[in-house]
Amino acid sequence: MKAKVFVTLKKSVFDPQGRTIAEALQSMGYGGISDVRQGKYFELDVDSSSADQTRALAAEVADKLLANPVIESYRVEVEQEPASSTP
Amino acid sequence: MRFAIVVFPGSNCDHDAYHAAKHVLGQDADFIWHKEASLKGADAVVLPGGFSHGDYLRTGAVARFSPVMRAVAEFARAGGPVLGICNGFQILLETGLLPGAMLRNRDLKFHCEHVHVRVEQTVTPFTMQAARGQVLRLPIAHGEGNYYAEPDVLQTLESEGRVVFRYCSPDGAIVEAANPNGSAGNIAGICNDARNVVGLMPHPERACEAVLGSADGLVLFESVLASVRERGTLRTPDAGAVILTRS
Repeated sequence: MKAKVFVTLKKSVFDPQGRTIAEALQSMGYGGISDVRQGKYFELDVDSSSADQTRALAAEVADKLLANPVIESYRVEVEQEPASSTP
Repeated sequence: MRFAIVVFPGSNCDHDAYHAAKHVLGQDADFIWHKEASLKGADAVVLPGGFSHGDYLRTGAVARFSPVMRAVAEFARAGGPVLGICNGFQILLETGLLPGAMLRNRDLKFHCEHVHVRVEQTVTPFTMQAARGQVLRLPIAHGEGNYYAEPDVLQTLESEGRVVFRYCSPDGAIVEAANPNGSAGNIAGICNDARNVVGLMPHPERACEAVLGSADGLVLFESVLASVRERGTLRTPDAGAVILTRS
């Protein structure tokens, strides 16, 4: 099963990259985009058919490695694999 | 005394640290590969600068899982002096041996230049021969030196006197213009609560000989030598942890 982990800087942390991107968009004429925050996206292929187990495992590795809890928070999405047709 | 200089894949200031310890200070030094479990009876450990594991994921994020870090953590817990320089500081942060985290430099530029830092705390093995308020001219070379910690952690660091170095002007003024990366409170280096683990972004090992532009970094190495001589080696837990009393 596939787990998707979205890691973003906590709201209290200044994001210079996001700010730079927002300013670039403004200068490109997209005045309607007031703020941009840049984050990271991970796709994990987990050996499990249980969504709960997959989600728990993804959260565990996010806590241990993928996100730095001092400055980042994360959320997990689990994608069900399309059911294979049984003979 | 004996220095252990840990080498991770991608470390590139290990030889400078070795040179400073062995050829300038005249002490013994060993390179310790990150997969090794022993620090070979070192009296002090240096985590050098560089780009361990290519800075993949986050700077220092992968290095902290190396086998050697278990030995480094034990050594630190027993009171042994540990110096994290630049990437080494980042690794100490990721390991949790020091609090806080590093963000990208505020202006998004990699800064490779000489800066000035003021010694804020002399009660550590690495600054005991410096004077409070002493200004050191040291080179920096980093893209992620913007020190961040939550407000209560920053408050604790300040109130406990655990900010060891602060970016300053050549005459020692703590001003924004002297801060190359936007770090909170102009923090360039901090220590743990037991004061034996120090991390700093500037490179003292690259400022130990005048021919390199500054010899101001030598005082960190002279200090730890004096500290080890004063307290003896830390081979046994009872040898007296390097806990210096606050004056």
